[in-house]
Amino acid sequence: MSKDKLQYDVIVVGAGMAGSTAAAIAAREGLNVAVIERGVKPGSKNYFGGALYTHALVDIYPDFFDRKPPLERPVTETGFWFLSDDGLVKATVQGGVVNSDPIDAYVALRAEFDPWWAEQAVAEGAFIIPKTLVEDFLYEDGKVVGVKTDRPEGDVYAPVVIVCEGVNNLLTQKLGLIDHDLKISKTALAVKQMISIPAKDINARLGLPDNNHGMAISVMGDVSMGLAGLGFLYTAKGALSLGVGVTLDALQESGIKPYELLQRYLEHPAIAPLIKDGQMMEYGAHLIPEGGWTTMPRLYTDGVLVAGDAASMVNALHWEGTNMAITAGKQAGLTAVEAHKKGDFSAKSLSTYQDKLSDLFVLQDMKQYRKFSAFLKNHPQFMDIYPTFINDALGMFFTGFGKPKRKLYKDILRSLTSRRPLFKAIGDIIAFGRSIIGI
Amino acid sequence: MDKNKQKRELPQVYIDDMLGSLKYFTDEQELHLAIIDPAVCQACEDQPCIQFCPVGAYRAQDGRTVQIAVQSCVECGTCRVLCPYLNISWKNPRGGFGVSYKFG
Repeated sequence: MSKDKLQYDVIVVGAGMAGSTAAAIAAREGLNVAVIERGVKPGSKNYFGGALYTHALVDIYPDFFDRKPPLERPVTETGFWFLSDDGLVKATVQGGVVNSDPIDAYVALRAEFDPWWAEQAVAEGAFIIPKTLVEDFLYEDGKVVGVKTDRPEGDVYAPVVIVCEGVNNLLTQKLGLIDHDLKISKTALAVKQMISIPAKDINARLGLPDNNHGMAISVMGDVSMGLAGLGFLYTAKGALSLGVGVTLDALQESGIKPYELLQRYLEHPAIAPLIKDGQMMEYGAHLIPEGGWTTMPRLYTDGVLVAGDAASMVNALHWEGTNMAITAGKQAGLTAVEAHKKGDFSAKSLSTYQDKLSDLFVLQDMKQYRKFSAFLKNHPQFMDIYPTFINDALGMFFTGFGKPKRKLYKDILRSLTSRRPLFKAIGDIIAFGRSIIGI
Repeated sequence: MDKNKQKRELPQVYIDDMLGSLKYFTDEQELHLAIIDPAVCQACEDQPCIQFCPVGAYRAQDGRTVQIAVQSCVECGTCRVLCPYLNISWKNPRGGFGVSYKFG
């Protein structure tokens, strides 16, 4: 062994939510941690809706808000918007449970938040190595003992490597922790535009009292043109983020160009006025691993732990992912600390990582929602028929047309049954319930 | 209610106009994407990569020869997963290169 061998206690691959969290936790316990990030800085490859969940952030840094994190707006109104081809029903909630202290979720921009989140890990003692790609692992006696990077003489050693490489989990595949690449029926492509609009116009257009109020909205219906997928809308301080995500198999079958689907959403008569005179600041695209439990790799092997998108830790219905990544990153960090105390980095020793996640919402939810991605694929009517029906039904209920109410109710029912027989609609509701309860 | 009205069509989008909003550090020495066997693309009937790539990096030259504008790639991975013939060699760009989101 050469004496200038680059040796750490822990290597973390990727400085996203999972990676920088794992690094902070391990460094806090005195371990020597290197985080290897392929972007010019943390966050430069990351792209989401999106909102971060306070519970996960505060769990890592109890004084999180005192640290002046770069957040956009708190999510003070959230819920669904149902789009028909020219109408909109809003089913959102504000106040009440949503008005918690602190607020449950904050809109953030990853290119601003991730570098800050990584800085907190650096303050704990972690070392960030940016602009460096991990290409492969280093093995001794068949066990991972480090990583090979694309730097000259770029081998870095550590007895445990925490892989937080993101959705394109090629390293995880290389380790054989999962025996296939991403599945097209269980992966969504999301495309998004961030559109700059003066804060006062955002507030006026969305009915927000001031810049300290914001929205996280899931948009169903016309936005996905009947494909398995959803739209979204998030409020930054002086910008709106609007995007649409559809599963890859649906995209393939439809022949639709993703950016045309997005543009069509932006031109919807209920959406276009929100972004009028806005300036497009950034367009981007990212995959989302929506298979959850069904596409989760093995989470550990000798000298390796996997966390975040790389481990398919996403809840597609509840728009959760970053919180799972943070929570899993923390548990991976703690597991690395324990392994160092034991001096045992075998798969058996590291398997406590999975036990920890099983006791938490991460694996419990992934198991419970394991049928959800299949449900979406098999029930496209939730993307098409039902959002339109909700628009028609509410519209008819609140407009008279001068006809007797008995006739009105019949018309409402017919606007459903003309699209989907009643018994099938009831079956769809039951199937939805089963998919989220997990039976 | 007018049930006979036309469904809204897909608008035409010039993707190059949208790519102007993206920041890249272009690797002048190495390309991280490549077509493994150009003949396979020539014979591919639908050439769906031209449709599904979210930045329109795949274009057909002279009718059927698929070419990749690698510098436009945002490293999403869609092409690797959706190519029906798994005919795309997909790697991450070298450290420090490729897309660099300004907002994310």
